[in-house]
Amino acid sequence: MDQLRIVVGFKVTPDYEALRPADWARAGDDAADGPEASPGGRPGGPETRFVRRILGVFDEAALELALRLRDARAERGLQTSLAAFSVAGRVADSFLKTLLALGYERAARVEAGAALDFAPGATAALVAGGAQRLGGDVLLLGSRCGPGDSGVVPFLVAEALGRPCLTQVTEIAPADRGRLRVTFTADAGPVRAIVSTPCVLAVGNAVVSMLRVPTLKDRLATREQPVVAFSAADLGVDVTEELDREPAALVGLETIDRGRAGVIVGGATPADKARALYETHLRARLERL
Amino acid sequence: MSAPATPRVVAVLDGTCVGVDRRARALAGFLRDGLRIGKDAGAAAEAVTLAFYADSGARDSLVELAPTRDVRLIRAPEFRPDLMSGALTAFEAGGGAELFVFPGGPLGAELAARLAVRSAGSALTDVQGAAAGPAGLVCRRAVYSNHLTGRFELRARPWCITLDAGWYDARIEPASEHSVRADVELSAEESSAAAALRHVELLEPPETGDLEAAKFLIVAGRGAGSRGGVERIAAAAARMGAAFGVTRPVAMNAWAPAGRQIGVSGTRAAPVVCLVAGASGAPAFLWGVERAGFIAAVDTDEHAAIVHEADAAVVDDAVAVVEALADIVARERQS
Repeated sequence: MDQLRIVVGFKVTPDYEALRPADWARAGDDAADGPEASPGGRPGGPETRFVRRILGVFDEAALELALRLRDARAERGLQTSLAAFSVAGRVADSFLKTLLALGYERAARVEAGAALDFAPGATAALVAGGAQRLGGDVLLLGSRCGPGDSGVVPFLVAEALGRPCLTQVTEIAPADRGRLRVTFTADAGPVRAIVSTPCVLAVGNAVVSMLRVPTLKDRLATREQPVVAFSAADLGVDVTEELDREPAALVGLETIDRGRAGVIVGGATPADKARALYETHLRARLERL
Repeated sequence: MSAPATPRVVAVLDGTCVGVDRRARALAGFLRDGLRIGKDAGAAAEAVTLAFYADSGARDSLVELAPTRDVRLIRAPEFRPDLMSGALTAFEAGGGAELFVFPGGPLGAELAARLAVRSAGSALTDVQGAAAGPAGLVCRRAVYSNHLTGRFELRARPWCITLDAGWYDARIEPASEHSVRADVELSAEESSAAAALRHVELLEPPETGDLEAAKFLIVAGRGAGSRGGVERIAAAAARMGAAFGVTRPVAMNAWAPAGRQIGVSGTRAAPVVCLVAGASGAPAFLWGVERAGFIAAVDTDEHAAIVHEADAAVVDDAVAVVEALADIVARERQS
């Protein structure tokens, strides 16, 4: 196969690491001023409206691995088309514009019209619909993403598309006859195999995890390139119906108390503090090892 | 007592690859301590193990590891989740069950998700505990990157759940006697997906045994500042006789080998003493050290999450404090 069509589906999420411990303490049901239920009746979680949005960790790796696969195929004289889409709605636009500048030829956002957190079934229906609309041989996804971290979306998409699915993918390289040499982490440990298309590949803890940065020149050259918008109806998905029949519902949130004391060890210099830490907390414990 | 014709609970055990003993213990631990359905907690009494094996030589030892008395065996080729999914779907359609329990891991997630779709049930991964609720099975699992615990109600049956990695620590003896109720062989030609995966090659896994078994563990985070800083902490750890691990950002910066990674993406350790140097304390990392008996932290930011998640903390430069500590430990050992 001389031409390989790669479609990457990605998620945009609040940067949860930017929240303070107090924000999480308030987010649990057991907090006095705990979260209000969302209109859908499920717990609302922490307030994230003012938190910056980032790519899902594994989704970012998937986007970069697709670019590297395109580059590796180009070295063999093979053509690759790249498309990216997100079901995050307009919040994905800035990321999609960046992807156009990086060489993705098509960029699309799906307007779900509803919050999809903790709704892997509805998410998978939209992702499968978007992938079919964009028509790829390989669908690349992140293996999981917050806040739900369900880890099942790639499999639900694969099931809907009738494709095999490999998850925890860490490397993708060209192989002969349009196939791919894929390294992934299975229960047995790291595995490398030749994979035929069409397939779904869900990226896991890849060493290549950061998306490259486009040049200003590339950004300017692609600024007129449009981000295509699909509604759920365009993809044949009734989101309300999908959410209603979501078979597992979030019904409560609790804070996690890890029960540590957090005692600060004092001292004037690093050596003083190390001595105090050793004498007060470590000496006896290390001697018993 | 003979098993019911339609078992309520099915424990699915993959014996086609290494690590089956850990998976069997996790299933047994969950059935005994993590599952509360019915009037009593004895769901395991009505459970059956559906065990997959690839090599006939492993069949008998797999039966011995089964977490339930009743065992049904299915022989399947390695790396064929499509065939396993088909067998599970046929099993469900042939008599049904309320609950399918899978060990954690990629295969369990795939089998649970595909079975739930095909049988109009519900799937949930990384479950820490489950109990009967008013309208279904209520399960607990970490959400929001391990910042919070979520309670989920699974309404559609069969409930298909995979276990949180914590259940792999279960020290449960397998059932003392077993009764093999069926033995089925799946053909490699049964699925059109047969050609999807070729030339499967198992790679050498990164050596992490020392991290899992470490009694004294030192973990370097991005606060070490550079590859040089990480290497200085590693050298100090070696002087103290401690195992050495790193956080994900350190591994992603290629300041240390990926196999040294501690946390959700790496190893889950359980040392007696853990010293965390220059890590902010992201929950995905804390998951990897939260079973430590004692956690000491060093970080320049007194408001960093790790300061509150440790038993004791030093607010200062991580490299300087760890090297000073190594000097002290070395002197104490000489005296």
